[in-house]
Amino acid sequence: MPKVFDRVLLTLCCLAALGVISGGFLNRAPNRLASSLPLALWQAPKLEVLIAMISFAVLIALSFMRRERLRSHATLAAATVMLWASLAGAGGLATRLANTDPPQARYSLGLAFWSLIALAFFAMLDAFQRAKFTLVTRAGFCAALCAGFVLMATSGLFDNLSLAREFASHRDILLSELLRHLLLVGVAMGLALLVSMPLAAVVLRFSFPRSFVFSGLGIVQTIPSIALFGLLIAPLSALAARFAILRDLGINGTGIAPAIIALMLYSLLPLVRGFYIGFTEVPVEVKDAAFGIGFDAKSTFLKVELPLALPALLSGLRVVTIQAIGLAAVAALIGAGGLGTFVFQGIGQYALDLVLVGAIPIILLALAADLTFQILLGLARREL
Amino acid sequence: MIELDGVTKYFDGLPAVSDFSWTIRTGDFCVLIGPSGCGKSTVLRMINAMILADAGTIKIHGKMIAEMPPEKLRRGIGYVIQSVGLFPHWTIAENILAVPRLLKWNAANCAARLDEITALLQIDRALLARFPRQLSGGQQQRVGVARALAADPDIILMDEPFAALDPVSRANLQTELSRIHAHSGKTIIFVTHDMDEALKLATRMAVMNKGKLVETGTPAEILNAPENDFTRGFLGGDALEMRLLDVVPVGARFTRTKTEASKTIGIDASLKEALNLMLAHRCISLGVRDANGRPIGEIHIENIIKGA
Repeated sequence: MPKVFDRVLLTLCCLAALGVISGGFLNRAPNRLASSLPLALWQAPKLEVLIAMISFAVLIALSFMRRERLRSHATLAAATVMLWASLAGAGGLATRLANTDPPQARYSLGLAFWSLIALAFFAMLDAFQRAKFTLVTRAGFCAALCAGFVLMATSGLFDNLSLAREFASHRDILLSELLRHLLLVGVAMGLALLVSMPLAAVVLRFSFPRSFVFSGLGIVQTIPSIALFGLLIAPLSALAARFAILRDLGINGTGIAPAIIALMLYSLLPLVRGFYIGFTEVPVEVKDAAFGIGFDAKSTFLKVELPLALPALLSGLRVVTIQAIGLAAVAALIGAGGLGTFVFQGIGQYALDLVLVGAIPIILLALAADLTFQILLGLARREL
Repeated sequence: MIELDGVTKYFDGLPAVSDFSWTIRTGDFCVLIGPSGCGKSTVLRMINAMILADAGTIKIHGKMIAEMPPEKLRRGIGYVIQSVGLFPHWTIAENILAVPRLLKWNAANCAARLDEITALLQIDRALLARFPRQLSGGQQQRVGVARALAADPDIILMDEPFAALDPVSRANLQTELSRIHAHSGKTIIFVTHDMDEALKLATRMAVMNKGKLVETGTPAEILNAPENDFTRGFLGGDALEMRLLDVVPVGARFTRTKTEASKTIGIDASLKEALNLMLAHRCISLGVRDANGRPIGEIHIENIIKGA
């Protein structure tokens, strides 16, 4: 029995194999509402299937490889090939079927497809961690991955997949909802920073309100997001009814205002904690030395304390931004718009592909935010 | 010249330093010594106004420090602490140039000063682009001393700077500091609780206990005639005579005579070194060389034990 060196990779491969065997690669339905029949992976174009299966086998073999650096590089390569081959296979199969099927037929992506994609995705993430790539390499690799995808998409390879059709038919509002989503998150994060700064200053200076502030913000975290959105409706509509100026600003019990307030409230605890940890962990002797060699209060803060606290601050901001990108989807329920609109419409219509039209951009946004904050963190720690 | 006159400081109503008066002459290497908690660090931190005295006055070159802007005062005084306190997010070069940059020196002056200071403290130039965490404790404190010297202050305050170092690094830095003091003529005020370190470095010593100045003088004066039991006890009690060997030079005890001795020792060496050489060579007398290496006399074991 050969020794397993990458248990994560082997486990991922086993799970993916299970998915490939037990589910369809594409699901074919006569129309958008009718139930669908699974088509197996083997029915996809031969070349793509062969390439995908070879790279799958390579990934399995790689989990028995000792040399970690070489293994992670090879894993990245094999996973990329498998990702592209699976995409091309699904697109090719749909195109071939569409030539003979009636035009209202629908082809949605099946369990086998998503298993292969998930395997490729997680294998890449894990290999990234192990290879300890610099952020520049990471960003370059992500760009290359996206370029390959865009190339396939623009060649019309995916046009017959129902997911692509959903994307295409919602193209116009997709962009506006995406911007709406970014607006919700951006404004909420900006407000959260503004509110958390004075709170952090109070918490850092006075020990008496510290536990009060932290437990108060902790309670906010325990409220389920839908409940918090709901709880804000009553007070906000009361305020809007009382003050005409708020109505003129478009503030209401539903819509964008309660969504931003709720996202901001959820962000306060991690941010205030980030400020608190960041500034309390600046070493005492460093502050003492700065004082002793003649830094005044302002330059001690700007040149010593703030740069040393920045990594903790950015870590806090990274957590809340990613959290807010996800939570903002729920805000669609109270009419705030954003990518969550597609998710809830999709659930309502039992149209999984429409759910994905909202969910996929949300996932990509979260990943992009994560990468951005990693770069900023690297800059703040002066190591890239 | 630094004059402390009746300086008193209370912490939580208890006197940490009381009625402390001491005059430090320009160019002296003053070691302030005493048991921990005796107030010696507080005295040091009052000299650069990090702590403000509750009573009494401190003057530097005749000017009351209470009347100077504190940041300006501190930028003109070097400051080194036991825990070093290098800025972890700055390179070694940036750390060394912290005060010159606060003083807004131009880039050319900064670069020139960096060259001088790295040469003076023998800091490897390859270290300049590194970060403090990549250096050993001894290297870090060397940089800490370089930072204190960078803006060329004429007064340097050092608060147990070598206490946390390994013996080899400590001995090296002590030697360097002595050398720098001897050729720069700077005034150094050095706090320690380590008597050997004090005797090795000091040109003047001040012994402190419970917030009060107990005694001042040269190391030899204090060792030869400790004024009270506290000083005697702090100097090492029974081991006091052995310590004395450390501070008395061969020059104070030898006899001028023609010498045939095969083993010789320099006139500036301590009696302890002389005794050590005798033990090493199993002899009871050594030839004595002057600064130019010419034999000028002899030292006998009886000179060490009974005096010249």
